Amino acid sequence: MNFDLDQEHLDLAGGAREFLAASASPAAARAALEEGAAVRPGRAELVKSGFATITIPESAGGGGGSVLQLAVVAEQAGRVLAGPSLVTFARAAVLLAGDSRLAGLADGSLAVAVADDDGPVLDAIDGDTFLARRDGALVCGPGTVTAREPIDATRGLGDVALGETVVLAADAADRWRRGERVGRTILAAEGLGAAARLLEMGVAYAKQRQAFGRLIGSYQAVKHLLVDVYVEVEQLRSLVWWAAWAADRAPAELPLAAAAAKAAAATTLEHAAEAVIQVHGGIGFTWEHDAHLYWRRAKVDRFLLGDDVAAFDEVARLAMEATR
Amino acid sequence: MDFDDTPDEAAWRAHVRSFLEHHRGEHDAARAWQATLYEAGFVGVTWPVEAGGRGGTPMQQAIVDQEMARLGLPSLVNLIGIGMCGPTVIMHGSDRQKERYLQRLLRADDLWCQLFSEPAAGSDLAALRTRAVREPGGDWRVNGQKVWTTLAHLADYGILLTRTDPDVPKHRGLTMFVVDMKAPGVTVRPLRQMNGDAHFNEVFFDDVLVPDAERLGEAGDGWRVALTTLMSERLSLGGGGTSIGPKPEAVARHVAEHLGALSADRQALARQELGRGYVAALGARYTGYRQLSKLSRGELPGPEASAGKLSGTRSARDLTDLAVRVLGADARVAATGDGDRTWPTMQAVLPGMAIAGGSDQVLRNIIGERVLGLPAEPRTDKGVSFKESLHEL
Repeated sequence: MNFDLDQEHLDLAGGAREFLAASASPAAARAALEEGAAVRPGRAELVKSGFATITIPESAGGGGGSVLQLAVVAEQAGRVLAGPSLVTFARAAVLLAGDSRLAGLADGSLAVAVADDDGPVLDAIDGDTFLARRDGALVCGPGTVTAREPIDATRGLGDVALGETVVLAADAADRWRRGERVGRTILAAEGLGAAARLLEMGVAYAKQRQAFGRLIGSYQAVKHLLVDVYVEVEQLRSLVWWAAWAADRAPAELPLAAAAAKAAAATTLEHAAEAVIQVHGGIGFTWEHDAHLYWRRAKVDRFLLGDDVAAFDEVARLAMEATR
Repeated sequence: MDFDDTPDEAAWRAHVRSFLEHHRGEHDAARAWQATLYEAGFVGVTWPVEAGGRGGTPMQQAIVDQEMARLGLPSLVNLIGIGMCGPTVIMHGSDRQKERYLQRLLRADDLWCQLFSEPAAGSDLAALRTRAVREPGGDWRVNGQKVWTTLAHLADYGILLTRTDPDVPKHRGLTMFVVDMKAPGVTVRPLRQMNGDAHFNEVFFDDVLVPDAERLGEAGDGWRVALTTLMSERLSLGGGGTSIGPKPEAVARHVAEHLGALSADRQALARQELGRGYVAALGARYTGYRQLSKLSRGELPGPEASAGKLSGTRSARDLTDLAVRVLGADARVAATGDGDRTWPTMQAVLPGMAIAGGSDQVLRNIIGERVLGLPAEPRTDKGVSFKESLHEL
């Protein structure tokens, strides 16, 4: 058994971390929230880096890589609250497979976003090309975007009124579902990175802050809170790898794995954010501290690609079906 | 990344599987069954060849465990001996002790127990009070009481941790022995667990004479010897390859069978609970696969392996609670109308899982301090003799 990242993945993660740490940050997320500054690294930089286009075939100008590779990068993107989301690129790559527009996604000439059936759309703010479902068909076209007051500005959520669309596929149910599941996997990977970064912040503070003459990390009440986050983060890591592996190698396992990863990411990131704010005390509740920027990510991401309740329900239905 | 066996592992698995399928009917006679498996080379897989073992890898042991679990076969009768007592004898015993005990242990000719916990020393094992006092002739006289001793009522031998010097700090005054459970002065009293079973015991030592030749390691070095016992336990459990409580698939099947009898709102609630418990169980399972991958590469399990037990007990309790709940009114009694006791029995077993082999709280301390590097709780028993540490209470 070799359920672990290999050296190639670790090198990829290292490269992604270097690029993302230089081009995105919680400070940039705060600026986006405060001043409406553009999200970082932004589409152009992400495309130029090659990281956003990993899952696009080489024939269309992409990296020809795996979902697992993209998940490894997405974890690093989540650590620094990067935007736009790699979920958007991953879903668009699935939906545009075989279409000439895929090359536009790969070279950055098209700013694609995927519009679900209702409500604010992820990464719509700077989008110019929207993919959507109309009566079971996959359609594509321009749209008018209305920004909404953000909780997490890095998610670029806005309402989309589609303009004139063209039909890309008449019956796109399977492709749409795969796009959602690959998207859920990458969303969970971004959540993993954000939760792991939160845990580091909490542990570092608990090793430095003193109360009643002791480091607060020595109190079991604080220590156990952080350990519970650690356990959840590591289990989420396992589920993300499984889902990404399934997307690449075992499509029959993808529905359960993607739903489990999505659900676990929603709860883990939320628990991590709230625990780490608690460990910091008052400073963790300030605008200046980074904790709330991750907390905002948690509060928004749990409602993307179906909420956690829907994902747990899907896990239960699939688990029961499998026993028949 | 893959979930496949290496070619060597696959060959070993095929061999183990075919043997077990041919001999699965024999497990009712527990000792004979272990002897059969020993002859096949499936017992003491990781033990050195000169100790009667196979000289194999932890991964090969994990494959045997997986294949046993696959057929629903019970664990071996001498599991504690194989996982803990034997390895301690291998590491710290004399040639005479190894010769005398090890092969018989592997064949289940002798059963073994581990005499560590006491009424006043559970999580804080080094606070134990059972005294061993050296006689003029050099042998030892033991007085005291052990508790929660699994298998003591059947055991022929045990490894016994005692206090031999109360005037030094508590971790330094301990000594380990092999004790003959049939020796005069040893009294075993079964304890009944909350689920009604009686698998563990109290053991009383009244002036029990233990020859110095049965000492394991140096006098005063018992804590270090005990740590190797506990390390072996972690190794014998494999990298999270074992599962705690019910299989999540079994709970899903059970819930699916009973779902139709519930109202629509209750169905939705049951699916939420199943989904949450199932995701936690899958998270523990795939984290276990990461541990197994380390074993497969030849790495040893570290303190992070404690996370699997911690989360496994939690999800087992949540899933079992749901399984009981969907029984409806039958959940009020210990067996369903058609006599099924599965889930009421399971729910009465699980509280013990969060205590045995490291309580949830101790495991959190281990992970917090040894994985996350958080500072330890200050202690009042450091640097003072065991005697003084008692007076501070």
